[in-house]
Amino acid sequence: MPVLELLQAGLAGRLQPSNLRIHNGERIVLLGRSGAGKSTLISLCNGALQPDQGRVHWQGQPLGQRSRRQRCQLGTLWQELRLVEELTAVQNIQAGALGRHNLLWAFRNLLGLLDPAPCMDALGKVGLETDLLHKPVHNLSGGQRQRVALARLMHQMPELVLADEPLSALDPVLADDVLATLLQAPACLISLHRPELMHRFNRVLGVRHGQLVLDQHPDAVTEADLKWLYSES
Amino acid sequence: MPLLPSLLLLPVLLRLFMDLHAGGLNLVLRFWQAALQPSLDPMLLRSLLGAVATTLLMAVLSWVISTGAGLVLGLLCSKRVARLFGASGRMSAVLKYLLAPIRALHELIWGLLLLQLFGLNGWVAVLAISLPYSALMARVVADQLDNRSSSAAEALRNGGAPAGSTLITAVLPEAASGLLSHSGHRLDCALRSAVLLGVFGLGGIGTDLALSLQSLRFHEVWSGLWVLATLMLVLDRLRRRPLLLGLLVMLCLGSASSQLDLTVPQFTQTLLSIPSGQFVPALLETPWAELIGGTLLVTFIAAAIAIGLPPLVLLLTLDHRTLRQPLWALMRLIPVPLTALLLLLMFQPSAVLAAVALGLHHSGVMGRVMEEDLDHCSSDTTKALHQLGASQCSAVLYGQLGPISRTYLAYGLVRLDVILRDTAVVGMVGGAGLGWQLIDALGSFHWALVVWLLLAYGVLTLCGELISGWLQNTWSCKAVEA
Amino acid sequence: MPDRQPRAIVFAGFLAGLGLTAALTGCSSTNPGGEASTLRIGAIPDQNPEKLNRLYDTLSDELSERLDVPVKYVPVSNYAAAVSAFRSGSLDLVWFGGLTGVQARLQTPGSQVLAQRDIDAEFTSVFIAHGASGLKPITSSDQLVQLKGKRFAFGSESSTSGRLMPQYFMKQNGVTPEDFAGGRPGFSGSHDATIAVVQSGAYEAGALNSQVWESQVKDGRVDPDKVAVIWRTPTYVDYHWVAGADLDQRYGEGFTNRLQQALIAIEPDTERRRTILDLFGAEAFIPAADGDYAAIEAVGRELGKIR
Repeated sequence: MPVLELLQAGLAGRLQPSNLRIHNGERIVLLGRSGAGKSTLISLCNGALQPDQGRVHWQGQPLGQRSRRQRCQLGTLWQELRLVEELTAVQNIQAGALGRHNLLWAFRNLLGLLDPAPCMDALGKVGLETDLLHKPVHNLSGGQRQRVALARLMHQMPELVLADEPLSALDPVLADDVLATLLQAPACLISLHRPELMHRFNRVLGVRHGQLVLDQHPDAVTEADLKWLYSES
Repeated sequence: MPLLPSLLLLPVLLRLFMDLHAGGLNLVLRFWQAALQPSLDPMLLRSLLGAVATTLLMAVLSWVISTGAGLVLGLLCSKRVARLFGASGRMSAVLKYLLAPIRALHELIWGLLLLQLFGLNGWVAVLAISLPYSALMARVVADQLDNRSSSAAEALRNGGAPAGSTLITAVLPEAASGLLSHSGHRLDCALRSAVLLGVFGLGGIGTDLALSLQSLRFHEVWSGLWVLATLMLVLDRLRRRPLLLGLLVMLCLGSASSQLDLTVPQFTQTLLSIPSGQFVPALLETPWAELIGGTLLVTFIAAAIAIGLPPLVLLLTLDHRTLRQPLWALMRLIPVPLTALLLLLMFQPSAVLAAVALGLHHSGVMGRVMEEDLDHCSSDTTKALHQLGASQCSAVLYGQLGPISRTYLAYGLVRLDVILRDTAVVGMVGGAGLGWQLIDALGSFHWALVVWLLLAYGVLTLCGELISGWLQNTWSCKAVEA
Repeated sequence: MPDRQPRAIVFAGFLAGLGLTAALTGCSSTNPGGEASTLRIGAIPDQNPEKLNRLYDTLSDELSERLDVPVKYVPVSNYAAAVSAFRSGSLDLVWFGGLTGVQARLQTPGSQVLAQRDIDAEFTSVFIAHGASGLKPITSSDQLVQLKGKRFAFGSESSTSGRLMPQYFMKQNGVTPEDFAGGRPGFSGSHDATIAVVQSGAYEAGALNSQVWESQVKDGRVDPDKVAVIWRTPTYVDYHWVAGADLDQRYGEGFTNRLQQALIAIEPDTERRRTILDLFGAEAFIPAADGDYAAIEAVGRELGKIR
């Protein structure tokens, strides 16, 4: 059974009704020009946008009717990071696990009474210096904030990771780190502006003028396909 | 944008100039001279010290109660919190509007009403302040939460976080710094309200001030004002040190409990009965259009002054922050009736004069808000603009006033509420408006009219609420477009 | 923000401590039984209120010694609040003005007038005018019509001598508040403030308690070039002591009478009593009865101040 399934889901003017099945173990890269509909597709997948036609299912359930446990299984790395600026790095990372804990736990996190050990694993994956852990995130640099957001996502331990152009503002070294971390997830759907990276994935999707036009293994994608995908008309 | 209201100052100044008579110049001079030589009569000072402890206790108790209650109510009123919990924002909007009438009544009026129910009791004063303040705090909390478009909460929610956890992890911390600064500001307000409530015979420094003022004993008035100023300063310093503040309050509790009766209030046996035959005549006899028109006129002019003056002063005294702070403090320190009387000694009575008295007092409050906002916002943009060759004036205008203008104006809208309530205390200068009518009706124990007037106040506040809600929406839309 | 953790804890502790202390003092400070035996007296803020507030011990000590019950002075600085406090039983004996006393008695069945000052039986108000107002001294009351179109100031809205009676005498001669400049009178808030606003010229004329006017003139606080009396009203009864209904019940039969005697017995023979009489601006207190105030009640009803 696919983990995520789009059934003729579309949004008027932004994405035409499309079918898409994502299975466990799939690492999908989403390519296309700016404004072609990549962000819309990802937003439909994580529920940030509601389709005005068709349906989106998570493990056979409509997206809106997932249990809390199921909601944890779908994680997103947001383009604008969406960190709680006033909290420290470690508090933000712990917040990734809010779905597995109760209100009291959240309160203890707020007061800084939690043991940071459980999120050390996520922390190790993103390579954030431990002396930054107790700084409010609005005091961190752009790259550090990116790592905090990534660590929060990893600490959520999702089955499927969605990311909308996660590398666009990063230096090459950091970009490589982030991509490597994202690819460790059981499954992922990542939109990128860099077709040359597609060989690190095992499935390529292409969007053009609001239409899902390409769905192939990276090896089968030709130069002509890419050229057409990025062409004006 | 915050400068816009100050354009209205021109016609107001013109009107004042025409009404200038300066006949009371020597009295006004005497008042200011008295500032330098307050009365040091030991009996007076002893009375003032006891009184100031009572006032402080009233202020802090009502501040604590209203902050707590306001926070809870504010969460209930917030559309964003409602949506977080999967409810429609409808209920919270309704609740928010239901709280409007509670806010609409001045502490003074609440005090007089509660007095009918409970007799003279310390809690009457505390409740009289707490009730409107809780409602006001609730509105500020709800506005602060709803005005923020941060997406961290949505992100956490999307990742499976339960609503309650999201609330405390993402929504509250975002609003925390604003709310902390606002609640500190409320302490300042509560102090001033407690002073105004000295009218209750609960002692308190307000009683001493009012009585000395009634007899125009300026030296004694200034003794009171200086004591009060010291208290304001101390509270402002201690705001960030709850422990010391707590100690101070405990001390006051010890010394003031003899004057402030804090036993559990009991309903008095004699409850009010309003002859039902009075309602219709009371409604028909009252010139509503004139009253409401007068009230609105005073409110708007006062609000324009209160909102427009601080930015104007800022531009005129760019580098003299140390000058501005005492100015705002002074404006807040002098109670509105006293400002009105001083103005009256120089100008002829008119609605404009009443508005100026109110506006000046509230510009002290707005000035303080502005300074705090400026502290929070970094001056980097200003420096950058300055280096680009902008004049210092325009650099400040775009670099500092620009960024804070939205929160500042949003707070100004809340202030509009308060000013509407405060029109009740400027009856002396022309006796226009609902507030004065209400005080007169209370003085005549004409309960039927009191009920109608309370209704009118409630409706006005509600309308104000709707309009300011709509304004805030348009402004934030504009901000998003830009 | 790590530094917020201790602060939050301290704050929570502070709140808890505050609540606890408030609760403790609330329970311990006064028990209801003990409170009932204290006679609480008050006075409306009218003349020398700031002195009254500071010298209240003298009067409560005097009464306490005479009557052998604990007496406490409760300051009240608002007319309506004083009436309400009396009605709700928070005050047992109150020094009221003519109007407020009637209001209080009407709202508190069983309460009665005890005493007034020697001067209260024939009290008057004075109308004063600014020098530049063009107002001439009034020799007969029908000349009050010259006040039409002038800026006119009353004192406090519930004051008998500063508002009710002046308004009544003007109404009798065809001058209503709507006839003043701006369509309404101003309310200065107190007798002294009325002098100040008229003397400054903000208002062209005003009305106040003649006793206050005279003492201000005597103290040299009035500038005779700028403000002068233009009319003195006919006499009426004013200030008086009103006692609550349940005093005999609480302190034993005849207590109300003893209270009345105690007030009347205050003569300028000791330092303390001189202070008291001085404070009230009286030579002595004389007995008074409810019936003395029937005229004030009628006027109050006519002008809508009593409903």
